[in-house]
Amino acid sequence: MSGRDSPSARVALVTGASRGLGAALAQFLARQGHFVIVNARDPAALSKAVAAIANSGATVLAVPGDVTDGATQSALEQAASRFGRLDLLVNNASELGPSPLPRLSELRADDFERILRVNVLAPLVLTQRLLPLLTLAQGCVVNISSDAAVGGYPGWGGYGASKAALDLVSLTLAHELKGSGVSVVSVDPGDMRTSMHQAAYPGEDISDRPLPEVTLPFWAWLLNQDHEQVSGHRFRAQSDRWEIPEP
Amino acid sequence: MTDVSRRPEIPVGTGADRPPEARGVARDEVRLLVSAADEERGHLFSDLPSLLRCGDLLVVNESATVPASLPAHASLGDFRLNLSTPYGGDLWVGEPRWGFGQPGPLPLDGGSLLEVVGVPCTLVAEFPGIPRLVFLRARGDLRAAMGQVGVPIRYGYAASEFPLEEYQTVFARVPGSAEMPSAARPFSHRLVNRLRERGVGIAPILLHAGVSSLETTDFPPGAVPVYPEPFEVPAATVEAILRTRSRGGRVVAVGTTVVRALESATDSCGLRPTRGFTRLYLRPQSPIRSIDGLITGFHEARSTHLALLEAFVGEARLRQAYQVAARNGYLWHEFGDSHLVLPDREL
Repeated sequence: MSGRDSPSARVALVTGASRGLGAALAQFLARQGHFVIVNARDPAALSKAVAAIANSGATVLAVPGDVTDGATQSALEQAASRFGRLDLLVNNASELGPSPLPRLSELRADDFERILRVNVLAPLVLTQRLLPLLTLAQGCVVNISSDAAVGGYPGWGGYGASKAALDLVSLTLAHELKGSGVSVVSVDPGDMRTSMHQAAYPGEDISDRPLPEVTLPFWAWLLNQDHEQVSGHRFRAQSDRWEIPEP
Repeated sequence: MTDVSRRPEIPVGTGADRPPEARGVARDEVRLLVSAADEERGHLFSDLPSLLRCGDLLVVNESATVPASLPAHASLGDFRLNLSTPYGGDLWVGEPRWGFGQPGPLPLDGGSLLEVVGVPCTLVAEFPGIPRLVFLRARGDLRAAMGQVGVPIRYGYAASEFPLEEYQTVFARVPGSAEMPSAARPFSHRLVNRLRERGVGIAPILLHAGVSSLETTDFPPGAVPVYPEPFEVPAATVEAILRTRSRGGRVVAVGTTVVRALESATDSCGLRPTRGFTRLYLRPQSPIRSIDGLITGFHEARSTHLALLEAFVGEARLRQAYQVAARNGYLWHEFGDSHLVLPDREL
């Protein structure tokens, strides 16, 4: 295990890491020797996830709180500052909206506002605030998207629109940050057996969907690519093929 | 989904347990079964120039085999680690096994510490859906370890250990395959020269094959038994293929790795230069658009290679060919005989 004194240890921050994809990815990164900062709203659930990660001897730091909350954003910034660098920011925490999913014609304005705050605004603000530490490490920002961003699926309009906006945030940031060493990618993880997916299909059997660990080979691949080369691209984690974009 | 591996009627012949040279047969004089139109004909591999035409194109895999099998140790004792695929950095996918002929999975949990020829490694995670494979983080140079003590991966049916050279094809140029892309093994330099004289083109792709774990039988229904492998289809090969097609020539893939690479480089806009990782599983109903013919070995009844072959020729045609091959003593496995498949085509 890498100790705190290891100068080469990479630092990762994963939001929404108490369960589902965030927890699986945080664990995967920790076992590869990353220092991992994990965040989620529910402190008890986050503690459980942290215990599972720390079990394997990894260094993990928990910052509970809502990603839209300024105090939580400050705490995350401080946590990363303690390590002096940030190699990977995974904006994974997401708001699905009401369950069952309302049609867009019936989506309440305050529900849509909450969706946009969590899924678009928080990832952007976190990126802005962590940019100095990301620049120091020549780090990578990964924004978790969804096929709903391009699907137009009935019921998924609010969530899908927010992920479409996030995709454009990712692409624009990638262009703006070109040459800075910081890269930004967008990842559609595909359908997975998570509590969010269950909330989208309340009462339905979703046991045919794979667990979030199905995406681990993709993360292993993506995070070992030349960041500059993949920056500005959108990937599908459960695709048959992960292509290195031509320059 | 039709799973070809659950079809008992696809026959399996005798496996070759050693290289042809060790049986007194030259590399390019293994037998070649030709399945064209609706019939099977027996040839030698060295007849290939007369079976192809001026203007045809062979697409070959330039991946060279590496000595990927290493001794390893953990608290449970000594075992064997077959390295399958490097992901970059210090991250690998490998298959811990009890021995060459004894498959895993081994009772190793995530976070377990292993030692591989002096290199400390951490078991990062089980490979999703394929429990015999694991992600490993190496705190040292596993490629150097391979160079020092690695041997080619082999399975229980191999008569003994053979040197790495026996696992190389004449096209091998870029080291990276855990197991030999064996369809090209019967090619010799003299045969390549005769093919060129005949006017047959040769164009390369790269696909680094991972472990095949031939004894695997534990895939649940619906699971995709293919894991990602690095591949590259270069622009010059795309051009050669398009030129061949436009002039009426046939594109013949040498090996299932070539078919997977070409199909992975084909999208709705057609074939284009591509590199990355692919886990494309060509199953019996998959369309295969990129090739007109295939040179391959004879494959186990439960293998993904066979699923691909069925995708190419259909189940009835495949069964007929394998019945002829088994009845006539063609040899299976990577050191065995060869099969040229040209469906719907007269020779």
